[in-house]
Amino acid sequence: MKTATDTALRHVSALRRIGISILMLAGLLIGGTAQAVITGTTGVNFNLTAKEGYVSMGDGATIYMWGYALNGGPAQLPGPTLIVNEGDVVTVTLTNDLAEAVSITFPGQADVVTTGADSQGYLAGEAAASGGEVTYTFTASNPGTYQYHSGSNVALQIEMGLAGALVVRPNAMNQAYDSPSTAFHQEYLFFLQEMDPHIHTAVEAGETPDLTNRQAQYWMINGRSGPDTFFADGVPWLPNQPYGAMARTHPNEKVLMRVVGAGLDLHPFHTHGQNFRVIARDGRMRETIPGLSGADAGISDFTLTVAPGQTYDAIWSWEGKNLGWDIFGHAPGDPCEASAEECDPASPYYDHGKPIPVTLPEQQFLTFGGFWSGSPFLGQEGALPPGEGGLNLDGGFFYMWHSHAEEELCNYDIFPGGMMTMMIVEAPGVPIP
Amino acid sequence: MKRVYGVAIKMVLASLALVFVAGGAGADVYVQCPGDTDGDGVIDDFTDPELLAHPNAVCMHITGGDGFINMADTTVTGGARGRQLYMFGFADVTGVPPLDVIDEGTTAAWYPGPLIELDEGDEFYLSLTNVGMARRPDLDDPHTVHWHGYADASPAFDGLPDVSISIHMGGTLTYYYQANEPGTYMYHCHVEATEHMQMGMLANLYVNAAQNDLPDGTNLNGFIHHTGYEYAYNDGDGSTYYDVDFPLQLSSMDPEFHDASESTQPLPFALMNDTYAMLNGRGYPETVNTAELANTENGVVSQRENALVEANVGDKVLLRISNLSITEYFTLMSPQIPMRIVGTGARELRGTGGADLSYLTNSVNLGGGEAFDAILDTADVAPGTYFIYTSNLNFLSNNTEERGGIMTEIHINP
Ligand SMILES: [Cu+2]
Ligand SMILES: [Cu+2]
Repeated sequence: MKTATDTALRHVSALRRIGISILMLAGLLIGGTAQAVITGTTGVNFNLTAKEGYVSMGDGATIYMWGYALNGGPAQLPGPTLIVNEGDVVTVTLTNDLAEAVSITFPGQADVVTTGADSQGYLAGEAAASGGEVTYTFTASNPGTYQYHSGSNVALQIEMGLAGALVVRPNAMNQAYDSPSTAFHQEYLFFLQEMDPHIHTAVEAGETPDLTNRQAQYWMINGRSGPDTFFADGVPWLPNQPYGAMARTHPNEKVLMRVVGAGLDLHPFHTHGQNFRVIARDGRMRETIPGLSGADAGISDFTLTVAPGQTYDAIWSWEGKNLGWDIFGHAPGDPCEASAEECDPASPYYDHGKPIPVTLPEQQFLTFGGFWSGSPFLGQEGALPPGEGGLNLDGGFFYMWHSHAEEELCNYDIFPGGMMTMMIVEAPGVPIP
Repeated sequence: MKRVYGVAIKMVLASLALVFVAGGAGADVYVQCPGDTDGDGVIDDFTDPELLAHPNAVCMHITGGDGFINMADTTVTGGARGRQLYMFGFADVTGVPPLDVIDEGTTAAWYPGPLIELDEGDEFYLSLTNVGMARRPDLDDPHTVHWHGYADASPAFDGLPDVSISIHMGGTLTYYYQANEPGTYMYHCHVEATEHMQMGMLANLYVNAAQNDLPDGTNLNGFIHHTGYEYAYNDGDGSTYYDVDFPLQLSSMDPEFHDASESTQPLPFALMNDTYAMLNGRGYPETVNTAELANTENGVVSQRENALVEANVGDKVLLRISNLSITEYFTLMSPQIPMRIVGTGARELRGTGGADLSYLTNSVNLGGGEAFDAILDTADVAPGTYFIYTSNLNFLSNNTEERGGIMTEIHINP
């Protein structure tokens, strides 16, 4: 609904509505370690249970769902992110607490051995309703980003939430694949799903849902719709949605994006700030000479079409160069702090000490976003009217990463929300949680 | 630069006046452009020191506001124009004296917004004046420009309201961009993106490659460049050479949403259902009508672009294809003349080691926010009329009118 309130303030009010103070958010965003690592569960033996649960959407709606749970915990949306190493023999034991048969299929994993299946589902051996159990074993031969999802009554069970990510790490540290061309500094998962709440309501009421008229009304990244995507992993008020989607990096660092299409619709995922370059698709490096050339055959783009079942790995890096002004707001005599290029008068990227060639309008003509620091310069804060801004205490540069099908930036009838999160480029030296 | 203030006398709109009273400030149409002495966004003093310091300056002044357009379903209306839709959009007011901008811009938005064509290396001063939505005096929405795909964007000029600043009614925000990367982009307002984009605040934007300006006779790896030759990218080998280029922006609208907006009804976000699919703001057959079209509400010429592709036999035709539909994936089909896709996302289709990733195809699929550069080689094409259309055949319609939607013609002249 249209109101006079601007988008950013609605974000803030959404945060307030669900009881989070701005300061508490800020506290969550300031962390301690130097590198972001995808949150998930590591090991080689995983015990998952398919069970009922409820998820909370960005508009406050509570929606009945089915999810995979870890070690008897709550059902999760998405299912637990399984993180294994190349060559691991992985065993996943599935227990079924649902009232219909359920299973797991692992697209991209060869020779999955199923033991103890109670029945054969459409795409995988099943655990019977209400207490059945089945075990899947496979060797994670190829590094990459994958997904797993139910192979039973798939149109309904995927809609209900039975899907998760599988990350297979190579033997080398901080690489997506065995080639050094896939090295990264930070990595983030973007697990894209959508849901039609009417189907969920019907299932909860014990009715037969109409899957032929499915029309998604909620769009999620890592199981959350905006603005809940901004919150940290594991916040207690989202017990069934443990994964946040806020991403952070520094200038010139390489960010590995692991993007998974896990719903039933396509999504055009747009990265503000800079193009990404694809390095792999469905766990296979994009290479011109297999085994030799590295990931040299991926495209650069600003929007990634993510189709159901697909995964992409891409590298994104923001360098803040060649803007025609100094993003740090340096005066000509100030010391340099970023790339050498910024301070090298011979470089085409030499912007050191250059002022912004235009004047920003006076405050009375502006609406301020909650994530606007008040300053156009990286790592700086500027004066803001009372009550404006406040969500960007380190002066980071915020970029929205979102579905560019903007109808998906809603939570049901409410804008903003949906499939969106932020990538924050923090000033050098600001810690990344 | 000269600062020029608008005066309240010009403010005939109650909605604007209300805000100015509330804001405690007068209207401030303030265009920043080096070498512009009278504030109209046109460089007129070539000795201005600021212009000499920014010799590649290019200036443009656009409005953000509301207006009217007509769809192409004339067989339904039985008139010269099809169904009229209320819309939000941008319009070009470069050259308009600042005191006249609010008047000229009121209820005068275009669809698509003004084409932005830049040369690599340009310093682009883009001033956006929010002229308000006169037909919706209850709205006081700010606006922004989001240059979609701008490399190494800074939030100040990225137009994302949540992380940045956006401009109120009566004010002007000047964006500054160095055009560093050639290619096909797009721009749109990012305020209330679902609503403002559905309502029409979007347009074509592309940057010409610096390779065009090489000295005559330059040898590009065996390809000899001559003055006047143009390329989609700095390819180094002439592989993206073209004779003529055309932007083709796909988009779509939900008429119920627009009617709800016009009548101040709740907006049907959840039920959004786009049924008019367009190229450069028109459904077929208006895509091939080269006239600028005036709307039936107030006669404003609000649909200025067409989508007709014209070339001579032997030409290489560059199509700068983008999609800014907020609801649809489209497949764009050139069934007779294959397309070589040489770029995506404003980058040449090359691998990191220079590998040629271009490909020949008759179709491209693109969701919202995607762009492709396609070159059609007409060397072996007989003169005549050919078609480009969406193979999402349900969108070959203008709402209930069949034979419309995303289709245009390629006229190959002898
Ligand atoms: Cu955006
Ligand atoms: Cu965009």
